[in-house]
Amino acid sequence: MYVMNLSEVTERISRKLESSGAQPDRQKIESRLRRLVEEFGVNIAEAERTVTGDLAREHNLPNLVTSSSDLRPINEIVPGEWVTIEGKIVSLTPSFSPSIAQNGIIADSSGAMRFVTWTRANVPAMGYGHWYRIESAVVDEYRGTPNLKIHSGTTISQMEEGIPFIPSITPIMELKPGVGSVRAKVIQDWDVLHERMLQTGLLGDESGTIKFVIWKEEGKEKLEPDGVYNIYYASVDEYNGRLSLALNTAMYIADEGDIEVGRNATEIQGALVHVAPGSGLIKRCPVEGCNRSLSRQNYCPVHEIQPNFRYDLRLKAVLDDGERARNVLMQRDLVESLVGISLEEAISIAESNPLGMDEIFYRVRNSVLGRYYTCSGGEFAGRMLVDSCTPVTFKPQELATLLNRAGGEAA
Amino acid sequence: MTPQAAFEREPARRVFASEFRETRYQFKEGDDEKSPNYVIFPTGIRSNRIFVVGTLTEKQRQGEQNIFYRGRVIDPTGTFFIMAGSYQPEAMQQIARIETPAFVAVVGKPNLFMTQDGNCLVSVNAESISVVDRETRDLWVLDTARETLDRLDVFGTTEDSRKAQEEYGTQPDLYRKIVYDALTQIQM
Ligand SMILES: [Zn+2]
Repeated sequence: MYVMNLSEVTERISRKLESSGAQPDRQKIESRLRRLVEEFGVNIAEAERTVTGDLAREHNLPNLVTSSSDLRPINEIVPGEWVTIEGKIVSLTPSFSPSIAQNGIIADSSGAMRFVTWTRANVPAMGYGHWYRIESAVVDEYRGTPNLKIHSGTTISQMEEGIPFIPSITPIMELKPGVGSVRAKVIQDWDVLHERMLQTGLLGDESGTIKFVIWKEEGKEKLEPDGVYNIYYASVDEYNGRLSLALNTAMYIADEGDIEVGRNATEIQGALVHVAPGSGLIKRCPVEGCNRSLSRQNYCPVHEIQPNFRYDLRLKAVLDDGERARNVLMQRDLVESLVGISLEEAISIAESNPLGMDEIFYRVRNSVLGRYYTCSGGEFAGRMLVDSCTPVTFKPQELATLLNRAGGEAA
Repeated sequence: MTPQAAFEREPARRVFASEFRETRYQFKEGDDEKSPNYVIFPTGIRSNRIFVVGTLTEKQRQGEQNIFYRGRVIDPTGTFFIMAGSYQPEAMQQIARIETPAFVAVVGKPNLFMTQDGNCLVSVNAESISVVDRETRDLWVLDTARETLDRLDVFGTTEDSRKAQEEYGTQPDLYRKIVYDALTQIQM
């Protein structure tokens, strides 16, 4: 019945994009429309709006994205704005503070955002899975991500069931702090070192890998090793410049199929040619969410003097393959295994040695400088955040190959 | 070179001692005071930093007011002359502690200077010197062989290699032979 309509809509969307210089794929447009309409019960008008918006973003044509009244798609909202949105409550998390009545995640077809309702706002509690129109909320930034604040000037009204939508899946390498949905495979299941933790490990998709954690909570289940999951609305957290996924806000559903996890794209082999200051034993700010490294005088650039610092080990270095020199950053676990010293040993050496923390810097430097390593990890702000690092070993086969290349007849 | 390349750290090129010893051509990229100085190696690559692994066979402390160290680092093809002065205190402190002979890794800048009788001497101004092991030395020989062969494969097709051809009249086969001979020494 709507076959006719879908091809008309496809044509209309294609022309719109073509008039802006893009070359859209009609088949793709039609199959996306069909998926929304047939599988997800979206009406044709909304499907047209959604697909147009998605393609406009993919072709980098922001002007094509339709805006209706003052209602804003969630993924376009930036901190500092007053906004009106309509969305579905896709996650509610317990509040640990009496000043916070509710916190969770609200989503529309464009994206998702964390929200917090102040107790003082005195607004009705929102229910999981229901739709709301939220007027005059303010968006600020919490740990680098936009966060919707519902205060006493905000109006909340429950809506009829909204338009069904599929959470949009983001490639792991493109995740940003905030809320994200991924389709990923469980590639590593690590030992749990914390009694509140249910599971931790590594998830991967075609684009890369990311650490995940599930905290113990009623009803939360572990992921199966090697399983493929659709994970909707996980919290994307940033720690020391590295992203991780907390699955407690998320809904995760086992999926069919397998994923070829993309890891090789970010593997480098080279000589470690420089160990930067700030490597070795460092002190970190204990203020929750800060974690900055402190100066010699225990001074945090944000929180000033912090005598109750905690120690950490890290390595900031340059790995150079002869063609390119790259900054790499390694965290405690890797430093411990490369240098053969545990954090506890490092602390006791530093506390009893006249050189103090410098002694650890020298030990770290002397054991890695000038040696060959293979490192893999993700790039972040011009630096590789190393997930694994292994010393290169001599392989006779490589010698044979090079001898052949150099021309064996010389002897 | 793109402008942002100026902010990226220069890679440390791999070069055997016998090629490094032949280096005489240097130029400055840009007119700025701080513009980097490059040399061009005979196999055709510009460089303002190198990475060398070999055996430190001797070191000498020199100078009265301005103390510096000279050292010799041997690879399968010849000798690198290493300098570590007070302008690079890290390298000077490191070399002062090393007992010869030892396998060392050196990161440093190529330095050319003319003697009074008109000879050109090439040395390495060390930024760091660290003690490594034999396996690292062997890995460096493989690495340097590979990088040198890669340069020879494109010799004559790149700007730097055409410049090298002009300045040195490089014979690629000679350098293939040097690479081959260097590799055969690993097995001993
Ligand atoms: Zn702090």
